[in-house]
Amino acid sequence: MEARIPSIACIGVIGRHNNPLHISLFPAIGPNSTQEPRDKLAFTFMLNSSLDIFEARMPSKTSQDFGLLHALDERIALYGWLTNTGVKLVIVVDMEGRIAPTPEAAKIGVLGLRGGDLLPAFNALQTAYVRLLQNPFYVPDDHDPKLVRGHRALEIQSPKFIREVERTGQAWYPGIVTI
Amino acid sequence: MASNKAARIGEDVWKSRTEKINTEIVTLTYGTIVSSLCRDLLLPNTTSTTDYAAVNAELDRMGYNIGLRLIEDFLAKSNTGACQNLRETAEVISKTGFKIFLNITPVVSGWSSDGKSFGLVFEENPLADFVELPDDGRAQEELWYSNILCGVLRGALEMVQMQVDVRFVSDVLRGNDTTEMRVTLLKYIEDEMPPDDE
Repeated sequence: MEARIPSIACIGVIGRHNNPLHISLFPAIGPNSTQEPRDKLAFTFMLNSSLDIFEARMPSKTSQDFGLLHALDERIALYGWLTNTGVKLVIVVDMEGRIAPTPEAAKIGVLGLRGGDLLPAFNALQTAYVRLLQNPFYVPDDHDPKLVRGHRALEIQSPKFIREVERTGQAWYPGIVTI
Repeated sequence: MASNKAARIGEDVWKSRTEKINTEIVTLTYGTIVSSLCRDLLLPNTTSTTDYAAVNAELDRMGYNIGLRLIEDFLAKSNTGACQNLRETAEVISKTGFKIFLNITPVVSGWSSDGKSFGLVFEENPLADFVELPDDGRAQEELWYSNILCGVLRGALEMVQMQVDVRFVSDVLRGNDTTEMRVTLLKYIEDEMPPDDE
């Protein structure tokens, strides 16, 4: 049985009105290095249920890093980050998502994740979001369900942002310093 | 020779005699201008399809008005005398002009065989930081995002008696490898006497 280390399963960006702005899924690496695709609906439900945790902890939390929101079962754990503008970044980690490339890495997998392990990932996501906002053609109001009339895609379409999110999700491993 | 002198003047003025402003303010302000124009200038009889040709023309017109005024400021700050020929003009524009106002030095290249036209290749463009053109299929083909710079050059050179045609030929925002602007001298403007005299 190969040693496994945690990897990111899903990254969700949720707007201030709890509207989903972007969801990225990352397949698990199964035995024999086959890729197992993730179920989008199941992860959407997971992200949805994590919103309650944000609300419940909101008054007492002073910092932005919500840390471990919820551990679903032995494999899946959700980590969250709230920006000052109300945008929530949620990362779902699969504890057995990837095969350990080296024996040292496998030891990290056995120890489990520490609180600060996801900080580089959240920082990279926040940087990507800031860059997206600096694009003059991205209008945040166009993605706000309360302000938008008519039928328009409410999710973020910018290819650069989506690429950056995918890169972050694929590059992360426990112990990485910067992405 | 001329380019070294121009570069030195540009560097001096940038270091000592210019007020600096945060680059993000400039980028965001210019971005708002372009996206506002894209929202307001629509094709006739449509509600939301942008007329990119009109946006380009409007940016050029705005740049022209800026250029007419900017040239005085430039001549006062840089104290350069008149340029003898187009080559000197090109060097002064790229090493002194752009340096003073945007702190960039586009590379002068691609001289035409008759010496009347040259290209300016921009390695960095502060106006277009973090910009992605909208994904409606036409912006990539029709919009020149930094077209205001063409107008600025056109207006500034007209005030020193040169009539030029300035246009972009490639832009990294469109997916090309470089951002390049082509400047062509049409003619030197002779001062004309007013029609009536005694």
